[in-house]
Amino acid sequence: MQRAKSEATKVAMKVNGKQVDGTVEPRTLLVNFIRDDLGLTGTHVGCDTGHCGACTVMVDGKTSKSCMVLAVQAQGAEILTVEGLAQGDELHPIQEAFWKNHGLQCGFCTPGLLMSGLYLLQRNPDPTDEEIRRGIEGNLCRCTGYVNVVKSVRAAAKSMREGREGGA
Amino acid sequence: MTVNVTTSKHREDAPEGRVEDRRLLTGKGRFVDDLKLEGQAYMGLVRSPYAHAKINGIDFSKASSSPDFIASLTGEDLLKEGVQPLSQNPWPFQKRAKRYHLAVGKARFAGEPVAAILVKNKNSIEDLIELVEVDYESLPVVTTIEESKQGNAIIYEEWGNNASLTSEVKKGDAEKAIASAAFVIRAKEGIARQAAAPIEPHAVLVAYDGKQDSYDVWATVQSVHGTRDKLASELKKPKEKFHVRVMDMGGGFGSKGAQSYPEAPLACIFARRTGLPVKWTATRSEEFLEAAAGRDEYCDITLACDKNGRIVAIKASVECDSGVTGSQAHMPTMTIETMSGPYRILNQDITVAAYVTNKMPLGPVRGAGGPEGCYFIERAVDALAKKIGLDPIEFRRRNVLRRDGPGEGEADFGLLLDTLVKSSHYEELSQWRSDLYSKFRVEGPSHSSLIAGLGVSLTGSDESEDDEDEEDWSGGSSGAESKPWQTGGGSGASAGEKWAGQPAAEAKAPWQAGGPEKSASWQNSGESAEKRTWAGASEETLGFMSETARVTLDKDGSVKVYTGSSPHGQGEETTFAQLASEELGVPLGSVTVVWGDTTLIPKGIGTYGSRSAATGGSAVVDASRKLKAQLLARASEVLGVEPNSLEMGGGGFASASRPDAVLATLADVLQKQRADEVSSSSVFTLSGLSYSSGVHLCALTLDVELGKVKIVKYFVAEDCGRMINKTIVEGQLHGGVLHAVGGALFERLAYDEEGNLLSSTFMDYNIPTALDSPDVQVFHETTPSTVTLDGAKGVGESGTNGAYAAVINALNDALSQLGTGAELNMVPATPDAVFRILNAKRVKTPAASHLLSS
Amino acid sequence: MIPKSFDYYAPASLDEAMRLLGEHEEAKVLAGGQSLLPMMKLRLAAPTALVDITKLPGLSYVRDEGGHLAIGALITHDAVEHDRTIKERFTAIHDAVVRIGDQQVRNVGTIGGSACHADPAADLPTALLVLDAQFVIRGREGPRVVPARDFFVDVFATAVGHDEILTEIRLAYPPPRSASAYVKHSLREADFAIAMVGAAVTVGDGDVCIDARIGLGSAGPTPLRATSAEQYLGGKVLDDETIEKAAEMAVEGADPPSDVHGSREYRQEMIKTLTRRSLKLALSRVK
Repeated sequence: MQRAKSEATKVAMKVNGKQVDGTVEPRTLLVNFIRDDLGLTGTHVGCDTGHCGACTVMVDGKTSKSCMVLAVQAQGAEILTVEGLAQGDELHPIQEAFWKNHGLQCGFCTPGLLMSGLYLLQRNPDPTDEEIRRGIEGNLCRCTGYVNVVKSVRAAAKSMREGREGGA
Repeated sequence: MTVNVTTSKHREDAPEGRVEDRRLLTGKGRFVDDLKLEGQAYMGLVRSPYAHAKINGIDFSKASSSPDFIASLTGEDLLKEGVQPLSQNPWPFQKRAKRYHLAVGKARFAGEPVAAILVKNKNSIEDLIELVEVDYESLPVVTTIEESKQGNAIIYEEWGNNASLTSEVKKGDAEKAIASAAFVIRAKEGIARQAAAPIEPHAVLVAYDGKQDSYDVWATVQSVHGTRDKLASELKKPKEKFHVRVMDMGGGFGSKGAQSYPEAPLACIFARRTGLPVKWTATRSEEFLEAAAGRDEYCDITLACDKNGRIVAIKASVECDSGVTGSQAHMPTMTIETMSGPYRILNQDITVAAYVTNKMPLGPVRGAGGPEGCYFIERAVDALAKKIGLDPIEFRRRNVLRRDGPGEGEADFGLLLDTLVKSSHYEELSQWRSDLYSKFRVEGPSHSSLIAGLGVSLTGSDESEDDEDEEDWSGGSSGAESKPWQTGGGSGASAGEKWAGQPAAEAKAPWQAGGPEKSASWQNSGESAEKRTWAGASEETLGFMSETARVTLDKDGSVKVYTGSSPHGQGEETTFAQLASEELGVPLGSVTVVWGDTTLIPKGIGTYGSRSAATGGSAVVDASRKLKAQLLARASEVLGVEPNSLEMGGGGFASASRPDAVLATLADVLQKQRADEVSSSSVFTLSGLSYSSGVHLCALTLDVELGKVKIVKYFVAEDCGRMINKTIVEGQLHGGVLHAVGGALFERLAYDEEGNLLSSTFMDYNIPTALDSPDVQVFHETTPSTVTLDGAKGVGESGTNGAYAAVINALNDALSQLGTGAELNMVPATPDAVFRILNAKRVKTPAASHLLSS
Repeated sequence: MIPKSFDYYAPASLDEAMRLLGEHEEAKVLAGGQSLLPMMKLRLAAPTALVDITKLPGLSYVRDEGGHLAIGALITHDAVEHDRTIKERFTAIHDAVVRIGDQQVRNVGTIGGSACHADPAADLPTALLVLDAQFVIRGREGPRVVPARDFFVDVFATAVGHDEILTEIRLAYPPPRSASAYVKHSLREADFAIAMVGAAVTVGDGDVCIDARIGLGSAGPTPLRATSAEQYLGGKVLDDETIEKAAEMAVEGADPPSDVHGSREYRQEMIKTLTRRSLKLALSRVK
């Protein structure tokens, strides 16, 4: 049984395919472990109550707000952050789609949005605009008005479908 | 200076995507909280839980016994150090408010910092904040304008009362014109207190260099220069001691701009005292509590027109809840000065008064008084159009179009309205609206509860001359028959885009506590009496109308653009590169834009108020042209030809007669001249302001049983001058519109009677999600600006300026079908508020109950 | 932003979990954490220990057990949303779960967690009450079954004792010609309800009501059943008139709050409207 007294305790997990470990308090939030301990600052903190979604990552393949997960809860899990999307210099189709369709302005909410968008498309490769909007409902953006975000996700859906059909 | 504007309407070679996106998409953005310095300590702020209370003592003994505790500061400590009060750069008509970074003597709003601590661990910050004991003695609280006026509690004792600002715009004889007008309406309107709410909270990181006695400051600010200057004056040190930087920033919308916040100076003091780097990041609750809020304006407006529907007079009195008032709380003045919008109204009597209360400071929030002014008049225009029986678009045509067509550089509102009507399929929308209503009438609300509304608004400003003849040019319509939109009035001179107020109107300041700041880095207060234009910029008085740029060419052929602007989502890293690449004829990829560094860029203004494309862009073009002249001179030496026989293009120089054959590259020329770098600078000042114009249309449904609004379609036909990058322009409009949609329907900073902020999380302060947002379609006309070098007009706030009115006009249009005479003029139009209007129940709203009509 | 300090346990068995809860007076069960963690981060809750039960095996399932559907307490909202049986036969639950938070919350939040948190403004408890869910609570002496009307005790308080754990929720299959619905009115789509009503009906020939259940949320410290409205409808034809009357009666026992999201008077009107809409929606779904 895992147990951690309130002072420091060890955690280990996989992040973007790489095994990592660290020492945290039980109350250390996963987002802070990712940002401060692992130095992966692409995932952002925008609020206190889990409403803005800027901290969204994937935990064991499902999107989750990492400010609402304790690092110790992620013991043994597989985490995907925005830094794990591109393959070397090659952008992930969803990143490419956001770039081509001006799906970001200040970029602060963007990593979380990419995660939510990707998760939606993994389960629903051809979503309607309404389904896209529902899929990103948990990601607040103050800059774009979401118009080009929806456009970007739609474009990503198309390019990912074509990529799949092309046997990539 | 000659203004030689590039006149091409479209960019053939607009980049595929923005330059800044790659790092932002791959998680490599550099936001302030991302930065980490070895050994950094964390600052925490102890905030007053009382809206108004004396501070009788602060005890750190419990906190300091923790091993995580490093140091503490109080307001008294700051006084001992000789720290100056929070900077105030008040607009001429605003009183100075003396407040310190940590409250001295008393706290004036719930959330005001009263003490600061420095701790070792990020996790312990709040633990130790809780251990600081403050002895408060609560005082009577002022939470409404009424209470502020009554003066039972005075917020700034030295003022003697709670009035912070008064101003007016007067022209002609409004009283007389109203008395003899054919149609008059009166309405009480208002917009509640609202937050900018960028997704990135405020943050600061400071490192102190003991040897140099200098500070490295990274801060979430829209102007590093303004921040540097404030630090220098507040901490009483030379400007050169502060190296202020920002890289990426997660939105500002005004709240990271002009406001003087306590955190950077406090972090500097801690850093100097302890030798440790000091980091501070606001929680979202702190962001809501402390960040300068906006709106909170209420207007009692009378609008009058003649029998042809031509507006003859406006009389309005605006009141504003300024909170503890801020460094720049001039938005109410902006409201009255922009209220007449693009209409030429000869008789105006508009006054404004702002009052202080025990709430966070008021500051610019996207539009900064503009959305309020546009909302106040555009609601009244709709009400008047209804009274006279004219279609709202037709009514606007009669008032915005000029006999002789638009002036030079001015948008053509006739064309914009035509474009809007056509592109939105206005006829079909009208049909949809009546079909829904028919169904509702037949089946009754419990079977068909949705009805629809269409609402229009105009944004822009008037630049007409006072003595233009007041002929009846309205196309000979006799009487107020309702004309369908197709038969618009004759097109006359239309509204211009220069914001000059009304030429004959002199804004009066009955009193001023202290004169305008002479060396204000924010504004140039050298106004002449007859025209409120800005005097030319000198080094010391760079202000709103100016921006700096320096363009350099390295011997390897790469170009750098150093700008005083500070992009945080608006795309200048791309658009300014486009401008330089266009002027110099170099590939876009060879241009890098540099900003946000007071050492690399010693002078600059920053990004806010829709000015970066206009002022910053012009400075880039100016500097690029100067550089081009230098380079042509050098190339002519190297190539042995006359400079005017050469052109720049393809990354080099070519003969004007054979532009495709590059004779020498830029790098060639520099190397031959043995020059490592060539550069040119510009401090560019506009001779007039340059804003865009637009017309908005909102189509929405209203569920009459729930009072719930859903925006179904939204259209904007706009003219922001020459678009450097059309996609970026549209993004600004999408975001601007949605910001106001949130304000119109959802957002309110709510307080209880004791002045506690009830909306301090994203659960209680509701900004729109993707599901609440309409698709916004944008259509463009292009009338290049005559005062900017790049032909661009500012567009960052235009969407917000027009959308409150368009949404609320649409809502009222829906309500009007019910024939109850019910009108909703108080924003946000939450379901509860709409429901009450539908059922005409009397109600006390938390704010402006004194203005609420039945 | 950061919770107060606490000890953290991730037991491997239910017995271990209950023992830990018994040992720590101020411990709380941690499931998805989507309700508990925000409260802890705002320091409105400060348990000294968290007992993480998400690692416990065999608590996440949807099983047909003959007369009823058995749902493991740790099943996520997302899994509930995509379950065919729940959507077809217990539609009120589907309607409710679809409106919970957002995708990220639904991926992690659990049906058991939502029930035990017992926030009067939350979606699921009302739907569970209107479908007369049964709650299986494991205690030191073994499991016991508590019906919904006894499960929700007060604001943030249920029949689950301090050292007990909710393991399963049971929904009895409704008779033929039954259907249910849940409707919610909120400011934004994602928000907590201003008002919410669940309805379940069983009808005979000619839409005569054999059984009607009406559940109100955000109408008091716990979700409520509008029993007088339910009794009124029994034996009557469900039409515009009777439904309207039932809606008026439903609001009589309600005690909705006044806050920034809506006044009491407004909420009372909304309860009426939503009662009508949910009854009609349920009726329209009867096959």
